[in-house]
Amino acid sequence: MGSFGNLLLNENMKVFRRVRTWIMLAILVLISLLMPVLMREGMGSSDTLFWQPAATTVQIAFFLNTIFCVVIAAETVAGEFTWGTIKLLLIRPWSRSKILASKYLTVVGFSILSTLLVIGMAMLSSYILFSHEVSVDSSIIAADVFTRWGYLYIDLFITLAIAFMVSSVFRSGALAIGLSLFIMFTQNIFSLIFNPDRYEWAKYVLFNNMNLSKYMNSSSDMGLMNGASEGMTLGFSLAVLAAYYVIFMVISWVVFNKRDVAG
Amino acid sequence: MQQEPVVRLQGVSKIISSRSLVSDLTLDISPGQVFGFLGPNGAGKTTTIRMMVGLMSISKGDIFISGHSVKNEFEEAIAQVGAIVENPEMYKFLTGYQNLVHFARMSPGVTKERIAETIERVGLTARIHDKVKTYSLGMRQRLGVAQAILHRPKLLVLDEPTNGLDPQGIRELRDYLRLLTHEEGITVFVSSHLLSEMELMCDTVAIIQNGKLIDVRNLRDEQGSDALIEVAFEVDDAERAVELMEGEAVIQGKVIVLSLSREQIPAVNAKLVREGVQVYAIRSVTRTLEDQFLQVTGGGGIG
Repeated sequence: MGSFGNLLLNENMKVFRRVRTWIMLAILVLISLLMPVLMREGMGSSDTLFWQPAATTVQIAFFLNTIFCVVIAAETVAGEFTWGTIKLLLIRPWSRSKILASKYLTVVGFSILSTLLVIGMAMLSSYILFSHEVSVDSSIIAADVFTRWGYLYIDLFITLAIAFMVSSVFRSGALAIGLSLFIMFTQNIFSLIFNPDRYEWAKYVLFNNMNLSKYMNSSSDMGLMNGASEGMTLGFSLAVLAAYYVIFMVISWVVFNKRDVAG
Repeated sequence: MQQEPVVRLQGVSKIISSRSLVSDLTLDISPGQVFGFLGPNGAGKTTTIRMMVGLMSISKGDIFISGHSVKNEFEEAIAQVGAIVENPEMYKFLTGYQNLVHFARMSPGVTKERIAETIERVGLTARIHDKVKTYSLGMRQRLGVAQAILHRPKLLVLDEPTNGLDPQGIRELRDYLRLLTHEEGITVFVSSHLLSEMELMCDTVAIIQNGKLIDVRNLRDEQGSDALIEVAFEVDDAERAVELMEGEAVIQGKVIVLSLSREQIPAVNAKLVREGVQVYAIRSVTRTLEDQFLQVTGGGGIG
């Protein structure tokens, strides 16, 4: 019954044939390129090793990156309902599961693309503007920075899963965007209130397991929330996140498959 | 002519929170005809159509399209179907052509040539590379038809296709549907509450009310010569004419209406003339589908 690649082509066409998508990518590129320039101006010298401005730039650009990816994820299912095109999409010789899978993979693909774009541009700009003398511990710093970026992407990935689930369950893009961003911005507050040091059960709460960079030694100087709580390890948090992820996906698929499309 | 029905509804019911929207609908639709699905608002037309194309689950019973169960072999069944459910909503940020490519990719075996041919068919060649948001409703309707017939379906399902179309658009759609059934052998299943429209469009109509099938009737039956038809005679003296007909007539002013077979009309006329009744006009009274519909549904409200 045709190839699954065609579904992916379709979904990507619907993402990339919109002016909006290109504007979002352009903004990400601009921010990633300009942040190091600002830092260079602020510092007045280029002595700093380029990894540091690159890391800071990515950290900041990731807020926007998350928002934009959530917008894409939120629209992908809810948009079809809002536009009414869902009625034309679901009456093709494809099961609903495959259609939803093509949508989800497209969203993940977009998030990988935008993340690579942010990292690539941040590194390029920093590399040009700052020092890149090969020091002894250069590879250690690089490994450290890339691990941090990996953790950032895991956060993004989970936020996307939430946006996608809300989009599929409530068919409302606005709700999906709002709820995901709420979670993104309030996770620190929630971690404060439901601190795993105070409540035993709190270590199973989603928020306390996001922001994995707290498991890195070098992050102890980065503010209130850092430092891992007792009984929580990186492996533990990853397992909890994986469990939540599976739940989000199962809910998305079950609801989408069962739903009566009316109105 | 016993042909395998294209669509077979077997005891189909839709129950949502113990309220049945459609109950125990059984219907066979033979190929190559325009089949009308008629009923007042809220009768269950759209619900039935949504179950046929898999947008809604079937609570009880099953629907077979070309022998494939919509419940268990959805992909095989739906491959035979093209549909427009309510208004044809397309991706407005894409061009008409991109929309068609999108849907062509989802069905096996639709070539570029087929897309071009379909565009030609629906007469959209000039504007096909414009964004859909610049299209008029009529053009969207045409694009809707194009996406529905792209993969040469055996069955075309249209839900209220004339909604929002101007008289010319309705006329075009009607001609076009006739063309499809006669030249490509497609069976068309069309729902509407516009009776006069259905009368012109359909070969057979099924009437549904409150989720139940009330009647199925063939609109294209040649009237058998022995069938009784209602004939109106316009005369100068209706009372006398009725007397002559031995009271078997209904008087409507200067007109009397009789139930006669076709062969009897000249004889009745001759008799009237012989007896000195002036006959000004003779015409057969065909009851419109609207009259029949109101009679069958009893003009009842939504229940």
